[in-house]
Amino acid sequence: MDCHLKQYILFIMLLVWNQTKTAAQELGEMWGTAEEEEQYYTITNIPIPPGVPMRPGSFEILPDKRLAVGTRRGDVYFISGAFDTPPNPTYHLYASGQDEIFGLSWRDGSLTITQFGEVTKLTDSDGDGTADRFDTLSNNWGYAEGHEFAFGSKHDPDGNIWVALGLSGSYHSRNIFRGWAVKVTPEGKMIPVCSGLRSPGGVGANKEGVMFCIESQGPWNGSCSLKHLKEGAFLGHPASYNWYQFAEGIDTPKIEPQTNSRIAIEKKRVKELVPPVILFPYIKMGRSISGFRLNQTKGKFGPFENQLFFGDYTLSIIMRATTEKINGVWQGACYPFREGLSTGIMNVEFSPEGQLIAGGFTTNRQWPVRGEASFAIQRLDWTGKIPFEIKEINILKDGFMIHFTKELNPVIASDATNYSMTTYTHNYSAGYGSPEVDHTIPKINKATVSDDSLSVRLKVNGIEEGHIHDFDLEKIKSLSDRPLLHSKAYYTVNEIPKE
Amino acid sequence: MFYFMQILCYPLRQGIFILLGLMTLALHAEVQIPAIENSSLDPKIKGRILIEELNCVACHQEPKMMTSSKKSPRLSEVSSRLSPDYLKNFLIDPSGTKPGTLMPNMLSHLNDKEREKVAESITHYLVSINKKVPFQIRVPDSVAAEQGEVLFHQVGCVACHSPRDKNGKEIMKLGSVPLGPLENKYSHKGLTEFLRRPHSSRPSGRMPDLGLPQQDIEKISHYLLREIKVPGNLEYMTWRGKVWEGLDGDVQKESAGQTSDFNLESIGKIHHQTAIKYSGFLKITEMGTYTFHLELNGGSLSIGGKQLFSENPSNRRGTKKFKFSTKLDKGSSELELVYFHTGRGPKFILEIEGPGMKKGPISSEMLTVYDRPIKVTEALEPDPVLVANGKEHFERLGCANCHDDLKGKINSYPEMAKLRPRNGCLGKSKNAPQYDLHEDQKTMILSALPVNGLPILSDKERIQKTLVQFNCIACHDRAGLGGIDPDRNKYFTGSKPELGNQGRVPPPLTHVGAKLTNSWLTEVIMHGGRQRDYLNTRMPSFREKEVESLIGLFEKNDSLEEMSYPKVTNIKESKNAGYEMIGATGLSCIACHDFNGQRSGGAGALELINVTKRLKKNWFHLYMRNPSRFHPTVIMPSYWPGGQAIRKEILNGKTDLQIEALWNYLSDGERAKNPKGLSRQSLTLKVADETVMCRGRGTAGYRGIGVGYPERISLAFDSEQMALKQIWKGEFAHINHGSFHARGNERIQFPEGIPFHRLASMDDAWPYKGKTDYLFPQSHGYQYKGYYLSPEKRPTFMYEYGTIKVEDFFKDQLDDNGKAFFTRTVTFSTVAKQEPFFFRLGSGKEIKNIGKAWKVDRLSLSLHEDMKTLIREGDSKDLLLPVHLNKGKTIIKIDYKW
Repeated sequence: MDCHLKQYILFIMLLVWNQTKTAAQELGEMWGTAEEEEQYYTITNIPIPPGVPMRPGSFEILPDKRLAVGTRRGDVYFISGAFDTPPNPTYHLYASGQDEIFGLSWRDGSLTITQFGEVTKLTDSDGDGTADRFDTLSNNWGYAEGHEFAFGSKHDPDGNIWVALGLSGSYHSRNIFRGWAVKVTPEGKMIPVCSGLRSPGGVGANKEGVMFCIESQGPWNGSCSLKHLKEGAFLGHPASYNWYQFAEGIDTPKIEPQTNSRIAIEKKRVKELVPPVILFPYIKMGRSISGFRLNQTKGKFGPFENQLFFGDYTLSIIMRATTEKINGVWQGACYPFREGLSTGIMNVEFSPEGQLIAGGFTTNRQWPVRGEASFAIQRLDWTGKIPFEIKEINILKDGFMIHFTKELNPVIASDATNYSMTTYTHNYSAGYGSPEVDHTIPKINKATVSDDSLSVRLKVNGIEEGHIHDFDLEKIKSLSDRPLLHSKAYYTVNEIPKE
Repeated sequence: MFYFMQILCYPLRQGIFILLGLMTLALHAEVQIPAIENSSLDPKIKGRILIEELNCVACHQEPKMMTSSKKSPRLSEVSSRLSPDYLKNFLIDPSGTKPGTLMPNMLSHLNDKEREKVAESITHYLVSINKKVPFQIRVPDSVAAEQGEVLFHQVGCVACHSPRDKNGKEIMKLGSVPLGPLENKYSHKGLTEFLRRPHSSRPSGRMPDLGLPQQDIEKISHYLLREIKVPGNLEYMTWRGKVWEGLDGDVQKESAGQTSDFNLESIGKIHHQTAIKYSGFLKITEMGTYTFHLELNGGSLSIGGKQLFSENPSNRRGTKKFKFSTKLDKGSSELELVYFHTGRGPKFILEIEGPGMKKGPISSEMLTVYDRPIKVTEALEPDPVLVANGKEHFERLGCANCHDDLKGKINSYPEMAKLRPRNGCLGKSKNAPQYDLHEDQKTMILSALPVNGLPILSDKERIQKTLVQFNCIACHDRAGLGGIDPDRNKYFTGSKPELGNQGRVPPPLTHVGAKLTNSWLTEVIMHGGRQRDYLNTRMPSFREKEVESLIGLFEKNDSLEEMSYPKVTNIKESKNAGYEMIGATGLSCIACHDFNGQRSGGAGALELINVTKRLKKNWFHLYMRNPSRFHPTVIMPSYWPGGQAIRKEILNGKTDLQIEALWNYLSDGERAKNPKGLSRQSLTLKVADETVMCRGRGTAGYRGIGVGYPERISLAFDSEQMALKQIWKGEFAHINHGSFHARGNERIQFPEGIPFHRLASMDDAWPYKGKTDYLFPQSHGYQYKGYYLSPEKRPTFMYEYGTIKVEDFFKDQLDDNGKAFFTRTVTFSTVAKQEPFFFRLGSGKEIKNIGKAWKVDRLSLSLHEDMKTLIREGDSKDLLLPVHLNKGKTIIKIDYKW
C-alpha cells in the first residue's frame, strides 16, 4: 500500500538515502530542547475516533470556528471542539470521494480544495451540512504520473488559489506545467506564475501578502528552502523550461543555469533566477519541510506575531521564519521552535484561540519519520510564559540586528566575542542535494545593545552574499541570566542593503 | 526387508528417518482411522464405519453400503504423482511403507522374490496407463518450505494429520490420519495437484478441499517434500529488503533453489536490493595456489570453512574489485559465497585462476551441491512385457474391484451377508488380502457384519457415522461427540485474539440444524463457505452426497423451543429502530461486529449483514436474549437480560419488537443503510443505500471518478476527457491514497477519448489524450466543470464543449427482470445554433442493430427517442450519433444494458 506516497516521500526526501540506518532515532540529532519548550508551548493530542480514516494533509478554520481537515483519502471533515481544553472533538464528514487534498481555503460560503488533479469549490447548497456541489475551477495542468503532487494556498486578496506543482520525478517535467506555480482565479482561469520548482510543499503568504512555497532538497536544490513565487521568475530547477511556450506573456529565459555552480553566481547569468528566500540547513533545520502558516493571532500565540511557522515531515518538528525584502529581493532567517510532535507533520494552521494546529501521518517504517504515530492532529498552546528566544534577525548594511523576546544581560550582550557566526552555502547543481560548502568565518567587530535591552546591533566584517549565516548565541544570557531556549538561527543573505 | 535397502542408499539422515519410521511401525501398524478411536460411539457403529472406510463392499456386495463406503484412490494418473519406487514398495508392503494405511497387502501369499516381481510388473502397468507428465522430482524451495510449515500447522492440516517438530518428525502419529514418509512418495507437482483438487484422485472426499490459494499449496508442498535431495551444482537463497545493512538487518528471505553457476542470470531476473547466498562444494583436481578475482558491491567468500574475503555492502556507491589467493587441496571443499546486489550499477563477477587454469569464471563442472552421490528417483520407462503381466496381476488379484477407475475386470467374491466370520480377510489365510487390523477392530467389524440383515441406523446414528467418517469431529463438537483433541488445541489459532476461544476454535455443531438456514449450511459444507475469516483453520468443502445428507438430518433432528414473533405493522419504523440500535448511539453492535465489509472498531466479530441469510429467525430471537446459553464463554453480552430490554426508549422497550427490528433492518443485507459511527477505515468501498464516489488514478486515467450506485452497478468517468470509461456490476471499488480500482465483474470498457467531436472525414482518428497532447482536451474546446449531487447523492457531471454547456447524469435502474442498468441523460444547453457534431455512443469489434437497440459487443445501447445513428467501420467500429443543436436545451437519453 501507499506506494504512491512512498515514491513521493522518496522524491522529496532522497536525503534519507544517504543513511544506511533509517530507524527513527537516527534521523539526526534532536535539538534536545523539548523538555524546556514544554514550559512555553504544550503539545495536546486531538483525539481521532477509530472509525475515522484521518490522514490530514491540509487545514482551514471555518467561520463558525470549526476546524476543517482535508485528508489523503479525499475526505473533508469538520471538527468542532478541537480547540477546547481538553479537546472534545466531534467529527462531521462534510465531503468525501476526492483525490488527495493538500490545500483548503474557505471563502464566501464555499470551501476551495486543492487536490492532485484540480482546484475544486465545494458548496453545501441545500444546507444539509454536506457538500453537494463540486465545481471544478481548473484542472488544466498536466497530471499523468503518480508523484505529481499539487499543493494549494489559501485565497489571496483577489480570490486566487496558488498551486505549486511538483515535477514528474526529481529530474523530469513530462506533463504541462509540472515544476511551475500557477494561480487559479475565482472564474477558473489558470495563470502560470513561475517555473523552476522541483518538489514543492506548502504554499502561503507572509505578512506583506507575498506568496511563497516550500521546496525540497534534491537536484538543483542543495537544501530545503522557502521560495518566492514571483511572477515570471525561474526558481532553480530547469526541467520545467519546456512549458514557457504555453505560458502566455512570459518569455523563455535565454539561458539555462550551469551545473556545479552557486546560486549567487548563476543569478547573475540567468536574470530570471530568483534565489531561495530562506535556506533551511539540512537536519539542523528539518529534512522535509511541509506546510506553513503566518501567525496573526494578535499575540495569542506568544511573542512571534507575523512570523511564519513550518512543519517538518521527517523530524516531526515546528520551525519559524521571518522574511524581509532587501534591494527588491526577499530573504530572511529561520529559527528552531518546537520538537517532539508525534507524527510526520504535513501541515499547520492557527486556530481562532491562537493555538497552532499541526497534523500529518507517516507512511510506513521504510520512509522514516521521527514521530511514530501513524497519523495525528496535535495542538500547540502557548502557556503565557515568554521564552527567552531570538525573535528576529534583520540584516543591516554593515551587520545584523538581532531582536530578542526578553531583556538581555547587557554586559554579556555588549561583548562581541560572545557571538559566534559561520557562513556557508550549497552547490547549485543537477546532482542530488549538496553538502555545505565555501565556509567562512565573518568577524564580529562590535555588539551594541539597544536602550531597551531587547536587541543587539552587530557590526560584522565578511557578510557573504548567497550564504547562510549560521548564528550561535550560546553565551548570550537574559537579564535574569538564563540562556536562550534556542541559541541557533540561520539567516540567508541574498542581498546586502545599500543603505 | 531387502527392499528397504534401496531406500537406504539415500543419504544417511534420510535412512535414519526411515529406520525410525520402521521401528514405530512395528508397534503401530494397524489400520488407523483416528476419528473412530477419538469418538464415543457404539462399537457396532464403529464396526460399520470400519467396513465402509475399508471399502469392503467393493468385493463383498451390500447395496445399502455402496454410497456411504469410501472409494479407493483413482490410479489412472497415480504414477504422475507418486514415485515408481514408492508404488512398488507400497505394493510389496503397504502398512510397512505407510503405517496405518487402509490398503491391504495383496501379495502376502507370495514369497519375497515373487512378491517383488509382481509389484514391479503392476508398477510398470500403472506407469504405462498414465497420460499426464511422468513423475519428476524438483528441488525444494527451503524458504517456501518455512512458510509452508507455518501454514501446515495453521490452516487445518494438523486437525487430522500429525503436527511435526522442527525436524519434520510427526509428533502425534497415534491418533492422526497417517501420511507416511511423503518425500519418497510424491513429486512436488503431484502433491500440489493433489492438494489443489483432492477429490479428483481420492473421490470420496475424506481428504477435503481446503480451498487454499495456489501459492499456499505450493508452500505446503515444499514443506512436506523439503527432504528431497536433487543433485546439482550450487544451492542458493535470496533475500530482499535493506540488503545494504547485511543479512542480519531488515531483510526478508525470498526464495531458495539450485543454480548452475555464479552467473546471476542463471537464477533469473535479479531485482535491485537482493542478497544471494550460494553454497556448495568446489571441486579441485590439482592442489595449489588459486587466485580469485571479484567485482561486486559487497559480499563474502569462504572455502573449507575459512573466510577468504568480506566486504560490507553499501547502497551509496558502485562496485569494487578484489583479488586474493589461497591454497586449495585436491578434492571437494565446502564453499559459501554471499553477494549483495545493491548500490550503483550492481554487477557480480567471480573468476578463478590457478594451476592449469586460466583466469575465468568457475565452471559448473567445478561445483556440486553434494560431495557424495545422490540417488535420484527417475521416471520409469514401462516395459511392455511387465506392463502386460502387471495388468493381469492387477485384475487377478482383485485390485480393480477397489480401484475401479481403470475399468479393469472385476472379480466376484461372496456377498457381505454371506460372509463367514473369522475367515477370509479377517482370518489367517494368506490367500486373502491382509489387513493390519487390531483385534478390537476385527471384533468391531464382526459385530457390524450384516449376518442377520443390515441394521437400520437411526438419524442420530447416521449423523454420528457421517461426522466420524469425514472427521468433522476433529474440529467441531456436537453434543459431546468429538471436539478438538486437547493436544491439538494449540494449533487452532485466529487473527482476532480479542474474540477469545470463539476467535480461534471452529463453532460447535450442537443445535446447528436449529441455528443455520439450509442454504447457508449447503454453502458451508459443500462449497467451503466461510463467515469467520478470523479463524486460521479453514472450513474445507466436502462436496460428498453423504455430507450433504447431514443438512436435512440436522434440520429434522435439531430443534429448540419455538419463539413467537411480534406483529410488526410499520416495517419502516421497525427497520429504523434496528438501524438506531446497531449504530454507535444505540447498542453499538458495530463496536465489535463488522458491517457490510467495513471493519469494526474493535474485536472484528462476525459480519452482521449476512445474519438473516445465515441464521434461522427463531434461533436469532433465542440467541439475542441469552448468547451465553449457546456459547458458555461468549464475549457478547445480553442486551435483554432476563428478557428485559436495557434500552427502554426504543420501541417502548419491548424485547421482541426490538429483536425483530434488528432482524428486519439486517434483512436488507448489503442494502442496509450504513449505521451511525461505522468505521470508514476500509479501503474497500461498499455501496449501501446511497451512491458512493471516489477519485484518483486507476480505472479511468489519472483524473478518474468512480461512482457506485445502490442498484449494484458502477461507473468510472474520466474527468480529463469527459468520457465514460467503464461500467461494471457487483462490488464497487478498492481505493488507496489517490487511486481507485474497479472491483466487481461484467466490466464494459469504453474507448479512450472525448465524447463529442466534429470529424472532418470519416477516416479521421477519434481524438484522445496522447502523451504529448499537452493542451488536450482544452484544444478541442472542452473544459471540465465538476459535478453536483442529487439528494440521493447521484452526481451530474458538468463540462463544456465549446460554447455548449453539458450536463451528464447517470441513473441506476432495474428492468422488468430485476436486472440493473444505467439510463444516461445528456443535457446540452446552448445560446445559439451549433454546427452538427458526432456523439460517440460506443465502440467495439461488432456492432449490431437489434430492434430499437444497438448491440456493441456485450453492451446493449438504446436511445429513448428515435434518432438516426451511423456505424463507422474500422478495426474498432464506432457507433456515432449525429447531434444537431438548436438554441436552448436538447436532451438525449440512452440506456446501457449489459
